[in-house]
This record gives sequence, structure tokens and C-alpha cells, in this order.
Amino acid sequence: MDGKRVETISARVDAAVSSPDSVEDELELSAVRHRPEGLEQLEAQTRFSRKELQILYRGFKNECPSGVVNEETFKDIYSQFFPQGDASTYAHFLFNAFDTDHNGSVSFEDFVMGLSILLRGTVQEKLNWAFNLYDINKDGYITKEEMLDIMKAIYDMMGKCTYPVLKEETPRQHVEVFFQKMDKNKDGVVTIDEFIDCCQNDENIMRSMHLFENVL
Amino acid sequence: MAAGVAAWLPFARAAAIGWMPVATAPMPVPPKDKRRGHEGLIVLNVSGTKFQTWRDTLERYPDTLLGSSERDFFFHEESNEYFFDRDPDIFRHILNFYRTGKLHYPRQECISAYDEELAFFGIIPEIIGDCCYEDYKDRRRENQERIQDDEETDATNELVPPDMSFRETMWRAFENPHTSTMALVFYYVTGFFIAVSVLANVVETVPCGTAPNRAKVVSCGERYALAFFCLDTACVMIFTVEYLLRLLAAPSRYKFVKSVMSIIDVVAIMPYYIGLVMTDNEDVSGAFVTLRVFRVFRIFKFSRHSAGLRILGYTLKSCASELGFLLFSLTMAIIIFATVMFYAEKGSSASKFTSIPAAFWYTIVTMTTLGYGDMVPKTIMGKIFGSICSLSGVLVIALPVPVIVSNFSRIYHQSQRAEKRRAQKASKEAGQALVCKTNPNFEMHHHHLLHCLEKTTNHEFVDEKTYEASCREVTLVKQVSCSSSISSSPHGLTSCCSRRKRKTFNVPNSNMSVGLQGSIQELSTIQIRERPLTNSRSSRSSLNAKFEETVPLNCDQPYMTAAIISMPTPPGTTPEGDESTSSTDYSQANIVRVSAL
Repeated sequence: MDGKRVETISARVDAAVSSPDSVEDELELSAVRHRPEGLEQLEAQTRFSRKELQILYRGFKNECPSGVVNEETFKDIYSQFFPQGDASTYAHFLFNAFDTDHNGSVSFEDFVMGLSILLRGTVQEKLNWAFNLYDINKDGYITKEEMLDIMKAIYDMMGKCTYPVLKEETPRQHVEVFFQKMDKNKDGVVTIDEFIDCCQNDENIMRSMHLFENVL
Repeated sequence: MAAGVAAWLPFARAAAIGWMPVATAPMPVPPKDKRRGHEGLIVLNVSGTKFQTWRDTLERYPDTLLGSSERDFFFHEESNEYFFDRDPDIFRHILNFYRTGKLHYPRQECISAYDEELAFFGIIPEIIGDCCYEDYKDRRRENQERIQDDEETDATNELVPPDMSFRETMWRAFENPHTSTMALVFYYVTGFFIAVSVLANVVETVPCGTAPNRAKVVSCGERYALAFFCLDTACVMIFTVEYLLRLLAAPSRYKFVKSVMSIIDVVAIMPYYIGLVMTDNEDVSGAFVTLRVFRVFRIFKFSRHSAGLRILGYTLKSCASELGFLLFSLTMAIIIFATVMFYAEKGSSASKFTSIPAAFWYTIVTMTTLGYGDMVPKTIMGKIFGSICSLSGVLVIALPVPVIVSNFSRIYHQSQRAEKRRAQKASKEAGQALVCKTNPNFEMHHHHLLHCLEKTTNHEFVDEKTYEASCREVTLVKQVSCSSSISSSPHGLTSCCSRRKRKTFNVPNSNMSVGLQGSIQELSTIQIRERPLTNSRSSRSSLNAKFEETVPLNCDQPYMTAAIISMPTPPGTTPEGDESTSSTDYSQANIVRVSAL
């Protein structure tokens, strides 16, 4: 019996030695194994129908059998949609936006709540969400530095091979344009009210908010 | 992973709302969702074992039997299920492929049965996951070798094709002695003479008793000089004839002359001829004697007769760097210890350690644990360092042997595995190129998503060539650059997707690869409709017109069908240079896609 125990221990040690990351991940995630709330509760909290929740969960569970997504996996998944560029920075900001309770992992509830706002929410809610995404330190103001970070992350997703060629100051210029449009009182920051006001007056943005409603 | 990534598409698209407030340009229209057949479970009855899965799962791979309309041929009305009269155990793996995107090969299944099932269900074996691919290929190779062996034993008594030239027959006889009896005879004769020659060289030096008219003992070589000379002549004649015949028969004479074996042959017979040429001069006889040493190289001629020698030679060659390092470290140790011993023994009188080079001999003998005893330290310090030297010598000798052995084993296995993997990789990639593993619906939405990003940033995705071209043009005069970059942009439009296809192809575990060409038309139509026709972009506007007339057919059918094969001809008639190239991209894309189906 001792022999068997030693064998299993050594096997585990071997596994740990050969692939430290996966074993660590496994330990981490198995401790955090998560089961979502019941279907009825989620139905009540989000604007998805039962069937839609089922489809979403099946896809989610397939990718993340443990029930939660950590930032690395999140970045991996998102990067697969943008093969030409580097989507990891934007994915990082997205992760923070989805991870509303800031516990370092996105559970199915977080995921589905976020999607509910983005796909089925009112324009106000969507703009709120976007503001939350841009406001990196969540202090209620978007500063130029925060916006520059976001802009660089978006441009990073384009990658190197673009037409016309991406220049260093393109994100900065874009940020200037954005601030000129959004910052009404020219105090260098954009508040939530300025943001929502400005977006509601912009036809393009309004139209694009309804773009992805047929996603599910 | 294909399933997973497709499942996260709604999320990726929803997250794109984050770009919207930032964008200054209007977004492209989203593609219409093709509502496929109602979602539901499909029952697959395989020889009595019932499998059930979602319809969507099967339709992920539309170019296989289960994913296409081909399965309708197997629909059984009475029981409202699809019936297949095949092996249920292997079918389990095939169905898992649809579920997880990875095809596994079960070790206990027979390789030919497995291959048959894969062929029946229209799945290419090249998409077997990395975990099982090597095993699969090994089994397959064994099987094929077995088949080949069977064929060969049937064909052993077949005659060699008579149309081989005499030269080729001779070369074949030399290289492979088992082809004919003559070759075998020649092989044994040369082997015998090599042995005789080596033996003669050895026996020549044995002391043979006193000669009749001399007092001292002479060697056999001097006593029976004539006999040995005759023997040597005979051997050298045989070797010369053999060398000349090989030279004659060699398909590439230059390569033959450069090869190691031929050099050995030459070195083996040269001393004799040099000896013939030189007279019995006192001055050169010393050199001549030295030259006779080279006759021992005849023993290396045996390597043609022994595969083991060849392998050993190859091992040493491949371990050359390790051996070199070993030699270097040994040299360092020898120099260190010799120096120490010399200075330690300097004090003692009548010491044999007269200089550091003289101490080298002691160090080497001690470190290799030989210990001849011709040089021994006499001082206490000398003895201390001498013992340290011998102890470290044990270590130094004990270390390299396993290192060399393990190196040999590692190199050998590694080269085998690397070669295997290289061969497999080539065929694997070729196979993967044929497989259409993508969901066209997914591709459509993914394309729209990327297009939104382009709109947000006001930049387009292009392929590397166009990017480099535009980089170069930026350095030219503005006017010239403007027009040339514009004329090259139709390239960018049509080829960006093919480039993207190539890029995604290289991303591991991402199966959004090949099928992108199908959406080229859609992407180009979307872009062309929205791009304003400026007067400087005249070439683009004519391209618009061409595309408009040819595209509508494709709009409704992002999937390739036979109808589209005839399509590319209208763009082909354009006179403009860049458009003809873009149309070849177009037609090529069509061709590739059709073959995938």
C-alpha cells in the first residue's frame, strides 16, 4: 500500500515537474470550481431567454470546464479572433470590465450579465458599459492617459500590416479627436454625463449600438 | 477548439461595442444570419449502438459525410434515425472529433480498419491531433512495410531488368554483393585478400630466428623477403584492380573520388608504388619505412564489409563536439596538475620531473589510472598532489563514457524522431490545407467583426507584401506614392483575406483557417459599397463595376457550388494589369475552395 501511495505521489511529482503551469492551473481552478446559479435566477437577472442561456452555457462550459475563466484563458480566446495583431491588452481591459466583482476570474454569471447588457440592454446601459470599459481606474472620469491606453490597445489589434501604415502618433491623434468631441467643458477629463450626452447626439454611434443585436 | 472558438463569437461581437464610441466612421452592415435548420438532436444508429448529438455539432464540418447532405442517404424513415452499418467502436472516435475538434487514434484498433472508417466518413487522417499523430503514422508505416515485404518476397526471383547498362550492373554488384553470385565471389575474394595483406604486415615483423649468414635475430620479413614481396604485390594488384573497376563503374566519378572509402583505398596502395619508384637509397629508405606504416590502413577497407564499423565511424563523427570538449577539459586538467607537480617536486633531488612537459606524462598516466611507475613523486607535497590527481582522474575517466554513450543514444533517437516528424509534418500540412474545417457562418460573422475594427481605426488589414510595398513607397515622392499605393490597394482588398487565411493557418489550435476565401467576395462587396468613389480612385471604381456585376450571385451563396466555377471569367477580361492579378487571386480562391468541398 505504501508502495502504491509512493507511486501515485511520484507520478504526481512527475506531472508537476513536467508541466508546472498546467498542474498549478489545475490546483487553482479545481479549488475555485464554480457552478452557476440556477437557470431561473439567471433568466430573471438577465434579458436572455432560457434557450439562449442554455446555448451560452454550453459554449462557455466547453471552453472552461471548471466554470470560471481566468485572465490568461480570456486573452487566449479573444486573441484567436484577431490573428494579425496583439489582442491581449484590449482583452485585459475587457476582462476587467466583465469581472465586476474584481476577484480575478470571470464566472458564468459575470459573463452572462455583461452579455445581457451588451446585446439586450438599453442604449443608456450600453454606453454606461463602454464608459466603464474606458475608465480604467473606475474613478468616474476618463482621462487622456486612460483613453490613450485603450486606443493603443485597439490599434494593437490591427497588427503591423495595415493600410495606410500605422504611425506612432495615430492613437494619440485619435484620442485628441475623441476628446475634442466628448469633452464639452474642456477640463481634460470626460465624465459619464458628457460621454452619454455626446454619444446620444452622434448618429453614427447610435446606429452602431444596435449593430450586434442579432448575435444570438 | 474550433467548437469553443465559434461558441465565443457572440461574446467577441458583443465586446466590439467597446469600439463604437471611439469610431469616427460608420460601421459596416452586419451580415444576415442564415438561420440553419431547426436546432435539435440527431440520432445516429451505428450497427445497433445509438449515438445522439446536436445537429449543430455535426454541421461544424460541412465537408464530411455527417456534416453534409450526404447523411440523408442513410436516413431510416421507420425509426426516424440515421442508420450506418459500420463499426460502433471506431465511430465513437469519429463522433468525438465533431464534438471536440480533435481526432484521436485508439491504439488497440487495427490501422487498416480505422483508415477505412475514416475514408467512409470523409475525414482526412491528417487532422489527427498531435497526441496521437506520431503513433498513427508509425503504425501506418509498419503496415505499409509489411505489405511491401509481402510484395518483395513474391518478387525475389524476378530477374534484374536487362536494360541496365553494364556499368550500372557493375556498380550495383559492388555496392550490394547479394545481387549476383559474381558480386558475392568478388566480395569474398577482396575480403580475403585484405585479411591476408594485414596478416602479412603483422607477421613480417615477428622475429624468425637467425639467418644463416648473420649473427642476430632477424624478422620474418627480412628472412623471407621475396615471399613477402610477392604476397604484397599480389594484394596490391588485386586492390588496384578493384579500385579502378569501382572508379569505372561509379555513376559520379568525382563524388566517388571524394568519398572516404576511396581515399582509404588510395592510401592503402600508395606505399607500394612509392616503394617501387624509390631505389634502395639510404637517405630516403627511412622515409620509405615510415610510409609502410600506412599499409595498416588496409584494415579500414573492412568497413565496406561491416556495417558496424560504419556506424561506429558515424557515431564518433556525430559525437565529435563532445569528444572535443572532453579532450579540452582533460588538457586543462593535465596542464594544471603537471604544473603543480613540477613545482612541488622541484625541491627534491634527482627528480624525474625535469620540466612541465615532462610532468605531462606523469599526469596522464596517473589520471587514466595506469600508473606505470616510471615517474613517482618523492616529496610530501608531491605525493599529496599526486593523490589528488589520481582521484580526480578517476572522476574524469568515469564521466565521459556515459556522456558519450548517452549522447550517442540521444543523437541517434533524436535524428530518427526528427526525421520522422519532419516527414510527417510535410504531409500533415499538405493534408490540413485540403481540409475545410470552418463553419462558413462563423467566417461571415468573424469577417464582419474584423471589418468593424478596421472601421474603428480607419486602417485596413493588408498582407505583408502590400505593407512592404507601401512602406517603400512612403519614402518616394508624395505624388507618385499616392497613385501607386492606390493602384495597389485593390490587391490589398482581395488579397487581405487570403493573407489572413495564411496567417490564421499558422495559429495553433485555431481552426479558423482555410475557408476564408469564400467570404472574399462578401468582404470586397461590403468594402466597395461603402468606400466613396473619389476621382483619383478611378481604377477602384471600375473594379467596383466589375465586382458589382459578378458578385450578386455569390452574395446569397457564401458556400461554393459548381455554379461559381464558371464565375471568374468576366474579371479575367479586364485589360488592366493589377486587376488581372487580382482576378487570378479571385479565381484561384475559387478553385481552392471547390476542391476543399
